[in-house]
Amino acid sequence: MTWSVAEITALASKAARGAGAPAWQAARFGQAAALHLRHGRPATELGEALTSLPDGPAMDLPLALDAALATEAPEAEVMADAPPGLLQSYIDALPCRATATPGEAGVWRLSIDRGAPRVRPAPGRISCSDALIAQMTALAEKTYVPETDASRAAGAGAGLTDND
Amino acid sequence: MKDFPDIPQAPLRPPSEVMRLKRMGAMFPTRLSFLRTLMRTLATEQVQVRRPVWDISEAGFGHAVYSLELGGYAYSLVAVATDLPPDQRTDRVIATAWDTAYVLYDGVPDADEIARICAAAPRQEAARFTERDLVLSRANKSVRLFSHVVESLRSGRQPDEALVRATGYLMRTTAVYGNGKFGIADRAVYDDRPGLEGPFMAEMLTVWLIRLFTHDLAEHLGGRALDRKLKRHLGIGNSTGLGMAPFLVNHPVLLNNWMMVRETALARVRAVTSLDAEQIACVQALYQRAARHLADWDVPDRSYQARIAVLRQDWRRLEPCFSTAALATEMPVARLLAHTRQSSVDLQELMVALVMEPFGGLVDGLAGCMSDPFGALAVPFAGTAELAAAVDAGFAWALAPDYEAPDQCRQFWYVSAAKQEPRLGLRFDEPGEELESSLDIARCIKALRRDLEQRNEPLSAFLARFPEHALAASRVALGERYPYAEIRDNLIADTCLPIDMLRCKLAFFGASRFDPRSDRWTRITLCQGAPLADELDGRADDWWLPVFGG
Repeated sequence: MTWSVAEITALASKAARGAGAPAWQAARFGQAAALHLRHGRPATELGEALTSLPDGPAMDLPLALDAALATEAPEAEVMADAPPGLLQSYIDALPCRATATPGEAGVWRLSIDRGAPRVRPAPGRISCSDALIAQMTALAEKTYVPETDASRAAGAGAGLTDND
Repeated sequence: MKDFPDIPQAPLRPPSEVMRLKRMGAMFPTRLSFLRTLMRTLATEQVQVRRPVWDISEAGFGHAVYSLELGGYAYSLVAVATDLPPDQRTDRVIATAWDTAYVLYDGVPDADEIARICAAAPRQEAARFTERDLVLSRANKSVRLFSHVVESLRSGRQPDEALVRATGYLMRTTAVYGNGKFGIADRAVYDDRPGLEGPFMAEMLTVWLIRLFTHDLAEHLGGRALDRKLKRHLGIGNSTGLGMAPFLVNHPVLLNNWMMVRETALARVRAVTSLDAEQIACVQALYQRAARHLADWDVPDRSYQARIAVLRQDWRRLEPCFSTAALATEMPVARLLAHTRQSSVDLQELMVALVMEPFGGLVDGLAGCMSDPFGALAVPFAGTAELAAAVDAGFAWALAPDYEAPDQCRQFWYVSAAKQEPRLGLRFDEPGEELESSLDIARCIKALRRDLEQRNEPLSAFLARFPEHALAASRVALGERYPYAEIRDNLIADTCLPIDMLRCKLAFFGASRFDPRSDRWTRITLCQGAPLADELDGRADDWWLPVFGG
């Protein structure tokens, strides 16, 4: 079974939210997770990032990368205590083009071309391990609110039947 | 924006005026609406629709395939009609069975693919789809009108014009899914293809083809052709609820682009210095057409009907402004707009939609700027002082409400467990507040401002201490580059009516005849008055605010 990029983006984002990430960090994780899997990077890195929440790379990486983007310099240092593949996925999801080269002690050098929109990956499907899908689905379910009679009554097409 | 910079234009209406719920809830379709753009594209491309498969039984069940070529690609609508017991016919998104189901397919499906779709499409969300499936939809019959149309045709008569005018469609869609839902293709698969680049183009193409199928099905069952005027007036209905509302909040760049384009178009036509005789006649005809459209627009909701009644009266009172002498003056469009400046937002927005209509040359090219191919290109703030200054300068509307007051926070948005659909709950009466969705942008920005201290520090350090403020900080950063990105109202106040958000988005789709069934869901009509498949060469672009026989 394969998944669309949009499905994985949404599921991973909800999973991060369910694991304790605030909305913005969860959305960034969703975007990075889809690209991570699209590029065939290890699914375990995503699972571990989710397990680490509300700490860990899903919280730290977007802040570190945005701090780099906020500088006007064409290069910036990024302190990233994260697997290189996951860092690369977050970089791939940035709105502009950037490349990272490893330095020492967890410091990466980020070259940024703020004037160039990111290169869109070629459209394609995502294969994902059942284990990660199960982990993300279970976490995502923590964000859903059980329906009540009141909420059902207020929904679209609120009548029982619509034979008009 | 890929546009020509030297077209004269008046100042844009400011976001503080435009991005208010009440005004958004008064929007009308314009020639920039997506269905209008699609019809122009289909006409320009001289698209021919074929029906290579019609395997529908005498009882009206089976499947059909419609195919066309657009921009060098083939697309097909696979339509599947099934026997639905009346007790299962509901417009709710949680329904599990429908009269008809549809897939817009990438290419022309072979027998195996048709069989796959016929098995999967009726199951909708319960099935899995492939990247060849671009859009997934379903529709239920408007039973009274559908039966009347079929019975009339069977007895050798055309259906009653008054009934056709009152309902306006043979079927209602209850969902039109795109962009990867349930395994269908991501939008990225086709968003660079000629004709489908714009927002929701694949969905609009699907809706237009569904409308053709509903006509064909009725004619098949009735055993004779529908009168062309009746057929043209039969659009496709739609029931839309809360699921659509968060889209505008969760896609701020797209919202900005839609609004910015619309306001730019308005600013251009406002700068028109004079009208020639043909343009004057066009504006006068549009004024009369709008009056007829309003006269035909009746809804069961009493307060909405009262609002329509006021609009009818106000519109009639504008008649002197549309005299030949009045329109022959200098700056005629600016004058028309000025006449409604102190009137209701309903009247203002109807006038806005009208004045764009005669000026395709100034307006239509802007439609190419309504998508969001790059994502948010805003630069994050480096320090907290810069962020605080930006909040103070641009977000007074978000800082003003007291979000502790019950009336300012009475509602909360959440996602329901039943179908993972957005819902709006009452904070003090219903459970689930702890799982609130982050659509309360205004409250988030005020909370952020409260925690920003006097001293400047790197924003990353601040957000490491207050990670919950990262969303608000990002929205403030967006505001610098995308001025129309935010709905400038408190979306959790008890005054927030989701129907206003729905109408804004649906007007961009090209919907008309808004028919709210509560403040949270509405029926609408799409494609009413739109060209039929064999009319794309002649009247593809003249169906703003459709009227019968127009």
